[in-house]
Amino acid sequence: MKQSMKHRMMKTAALVILGVTMAGGAAVAADKWDGGDDLPTSPLACDAGPSAAAAAKPYDGGQTTGAPDKAGKPITLVDVPKLIGIGYFNATSKGMQDAAKEIGNVKVTTDGPTEAKIDEQIKFIDNYITRGVDGILFAANDPVAIAPVLKKALSKGIHVVGYDANSQPDARQWFINQAEFNGIAKAMVDAMAKEAGEDKGFAIVTSTFTTPNQARWIAEMSAYAAKCHPKLKWLETVEAQEDNVLSFSQATTLINKYGDKLSGLFGMTSVATPASAEAVTKAGLCGKLAVVGLATPNAMKPYVNAGCVKSVVLWNPVDLGYAATYVMRAVVDGKLKPGATSVDAGKLGKLNVINGSEILLGSPFIFTKDNIKDFDF
Amino acid sequence: MSTMVLSRLRPGEGGAFRLFASQEALLAFAIIGIAILVGLYNPRFLATRNLADIVLGNAYIAVAAIGMSMVIVSGNIDISVGSLIGVLATISGSLAVAGVPIILVWLTPLVVGLLVMMLQGAVIAYLRIPAIVVTLGMLSILKGGLISVTGGRWITDLPQSFHLADIELFGILPMPVLIMVAATILAALWMRYSASGRAIYATGGNAEAARLCGVSPRRTVVMVFALHGLFAGIAALLFATQLKVIQSTVPPNLELTVITAAVVGGVSILGGVGTVVGSTLAAVLIAEIASALVFINVSPYWIHAVQGILILVTVVADILRRRRRQVGG
Amino acid sequence: MAVLAPEVRSAAPRWLIRHETLLAAILVAALAILGLFNERFLTIDNLLNQGRLMTEVGLLALPMTFIIITGGIDLSVGSIVGLCAIMLGYSWKNLGFPLPLAIAFAIGVGGVAGFVNGLLITRVRVPPLIMTIATLALYRGLAEGISQARSVRNYPEWFFFTGQGEWLGVPVQLWILLVGIIVAGITLDRTTFGRTLYAIGNNETAARFSGLPVDRVKLVVYTLSGLAAGLSAWVLVSRVTTTRSDMGSGYELDVIAAVVLGGTSIFGGVGTIWGTVVGLVMIQLLKNGLALTGVKGDATIIVIGAVLIASTLIASSLHGRREVAG
Repeated sequence: MKQSMKHRMMKTAALVILGVTMAGGAAVAADKWDGGDDLPTSPLACDAGPSAAAAAKPYDGGQTTGAPDKAGKPITLVDVPKLIGIGYFNATSKGMQDAAKEIGNVKVTTDGPTEAKIDEQIKFIDNYITRGVDGILFAANDPVAIAPVLKKALSKGIHVVGYDANSQPDARQWFINQAEFNGIAKAMVDAMAKEAGEDKGFAIVTSTFTTPNQARWIAEMSAYAAKCHPKLKWLETVEAQEDNVLSFSQATTLINKYGDKLSGLFGMTSVATPASAEAVTKAGLCGKLAVVGLATPNAMKPYVNAGCVKSVVLWNPVDLGYAATYVMRAVVDGKLKPGATSVDAGKLGKLNVINGSEILLGSPFIFTKDNIKDFDF
Repeated sequence: MSTMVLSRLRPGEGGAFRLFASQEALLAFAIIGIAILVGLYNPRFLATRNLADIVLGNAYIAVAAIGMSMVIVSGNIDISVGSLIGVLATISGSLAVAGVPIILVWLTPLVVGLLVMMLQGAVIAYLRIPAIVVTLGMLSILKGGLISVTGGRWITDLPQSFHLADIELFGILPMPVLIMVAATILAALWMRYSASGRAIYATGGNAEAARLCGVSPRRTVVMVFALHGLFAGIAALLFATQLKVIQSTVPPNLELTVITAAVVGGVSILGGVGTVVGSTLAAVLIAEIASALVFINVSPYWIHAVQGILILVTVVADILRRRRRQVGG
Repeated sequence: MAVLAPEVRSAAPRWLIRHETLLAAILVAALAILGLFNERFLTIDNLLNQGRLMTEVGLLALPMTFIIITGGIDLSVGSIVGLCAIMLGYSWKNLGFPLPLAIAFAIGVGGVAGFVNGLLITRVRVPPLIMTIATLALYRGLAEGISQARSVRNYPEWFFFTGQGEWLGVPVQLWILLVGIIVAGITLDRTTFGRTLYAIGNNETAARFSGLPVDRVKLVVYTLSGLAAGLSAWVLVSRVTTTRSDMGSGYELDVIAAVVLGGTSIFGGVGTIWGTVVGLVMIQLLKNGLALTGVKGDATIIVIGAVLIASTLIASSLHGRREVAG
């Protein structure tokens, strides 16, 4: 009969597609880890110790056109992070509020999309341009897509400073880099090699393959591991958006799939790491399966205190927001000009300029059982 | 046409097709079939731990799909359930942290969910606004409201007693499975055998005819949404009590997953057909497929495409099966 | 959908025109109030800019109006936008097409995607809601798989004219949208095709028995929806200068909100392009106006949701539409 033939044809088609995808997936040579981008990498030296300072690059940031002179005067800033509603950006926002209070004549509002979508973020920024703010702080969902609207801001005399997630250099004046991508990669991979073992297998739980920062980190981690820990075995990368329950579910699936072959999990977002730690706890593998990742201390306290997680890699996002505000103030006051090599950032002291127009917050910070109780974010 | 679970087989229909006569049977077969196939590729898939994890982690979707199935059978739709679950989870977590007695912590989401949904049902039934409009509007209101009130702050200091999903009755029956199975059976029996349950099918199939038979379509719609809200509350509990942290955000795409589970489970969007047993099985199948795709090493870049194809195939197969039956094959 | 009480609804009854007028009146009132709060709101600059930003959703709303009038729906439009955006970049960079061909190819892919929707809806009789939920997942998945999460960037200067340029002071994409509105409006109001849409929405069986080419018409509207998504993708990529596999995600709800707000009934048989335009403009300007007044993102979503319900309530209660609840 016609219908059952159609039925059978569709079933066959589905199975064929399934088969091809499986074969295709397996056939792709896993030289590079899934989830990394294909930009050039620069892995650090394998031994501990500060990396040699890179040769100074000329300033490559953008410039405002016709910005009113507000040196020393009160300014209104808007902060548009990737999304609102996650602990990480709550922390950066808090840092900005702290800095604003200290400086005295700065007002910062945090406003942004409820999902990490670049199109929404662009519209938020666009509205604030029309409203007329003095400066925009941003963490970009996409470095290229955000460029046109940021350039529009610059052309209208609005100062633009980025933090956490960069845009194209010419679309903003300065970018506060929390830690170099290769520095984070080194910290993470070294920690995994130490906790899980030099020749063990691990998997990665990330947000999505299209999130620029995560993709950079994974690519750098891949290069660093190939250079300094070649026996570490990458097994798989899974996506979990920025969702807690999905991250937990994916981590659990990985644990079940690989069994003993899995000795470590990388959590690439502040959501994935606690969820992976929970999955490990629920599976009764605390202490046997290493969890290394980026996360905020509060979410990780239960696991670090229980000994499930030995080290949480991050930088201090409160400091990041704090520094961003100070930098913006310095830019508006004319104290931070292209070509500068350092900037004064309140209680953080002097921060160095690297890569032309980036300001480095510092080295990655490692939260451990000993120090995690000192932090509340 | 209201085809009930039990009255599927007609005399004369022979052969193996009898097995596939119902969507529920087809789903059960698919669940077992996939488990075996994937198990051959990677035996770890069949480990008790893994199978348990699949069901436990996704029981909340099945429970939410029970309510959604009822809504769809009555001829409506609801796209606000994802946002509602996010809100209810946050309410429940906040109460727990504030030291409210655990029983109240667990009951509040049920009551709030019921009231919120009942309100929507009333607006749909009595104010004559289409369900898609009301629930679309409510989706935004709930989502925005949640962020406004919580500022996106995570709830982290949950007391140990909060974790309903971790409780195992008599030491072996995990609560999520127990609740999922019990809710499914009770709902299925109620829809099949009680007057108000059958009123849902009547309303969805032909509201005017139902009215002429003494069923009040309007009251039925309000009741259906109220029940949907109750199930959403239970689902929110199972969802929230799994982990030590509650993100005060709306879980992405939850409403689509729940609708997909209901639809793949055999509920017809034209109203009047479908069972909650089907939607529960479909929810389990969807969760199983998600795990299976990881186990069989489907390239992560293609996972969503494969899932989309599978949904499409299941839906088309269901339609064809129904048409074949109607034509009298 | 539940059976409706026997109420004859013709193609453009007088009360319907009043719904749009009423909505337009609400819109004007809202604009005036918001304009009082913020002087930058009602400037030509801002309004044209908003027109630029609403084009992507606007282009999708036109065929969506057609589809909803026939009693169907298309939830996959957002995913088709993503797929077309990826195909634009992929065919240009990986397959080496010259860029103009890549653009045409991308729009064509959108048409094919819409055609597949229409085919399975008409031939296999999959209900549109279900079909397009499935393709929402499938097309998004194809975008992710084909792109392998890579973006395509570094387009030549001329490419950005569509999304960022101006002609006679008006953003280019807004011209495209205006042309689309006029064509769609004329088609719906003055052609047999348009009348067929209303007939199908009012009573599909009767339309079929009257000899109208119901299946062919449905196939056409779903294909149009896909083509519009391709066009929208072109505008989007040109505006943001890059491609991403998550482009367009969530658009379907924005589009449906605009169409439904504009008076098109989800049950079919009723609706106009003019109404959709008013709905579209209302949502866009409301979001913009609220943001300029200092209302933050989360509160804005609440207001939009409330406005959606309230407007429909006001409009429908003022006309005493009788629909058996269900």
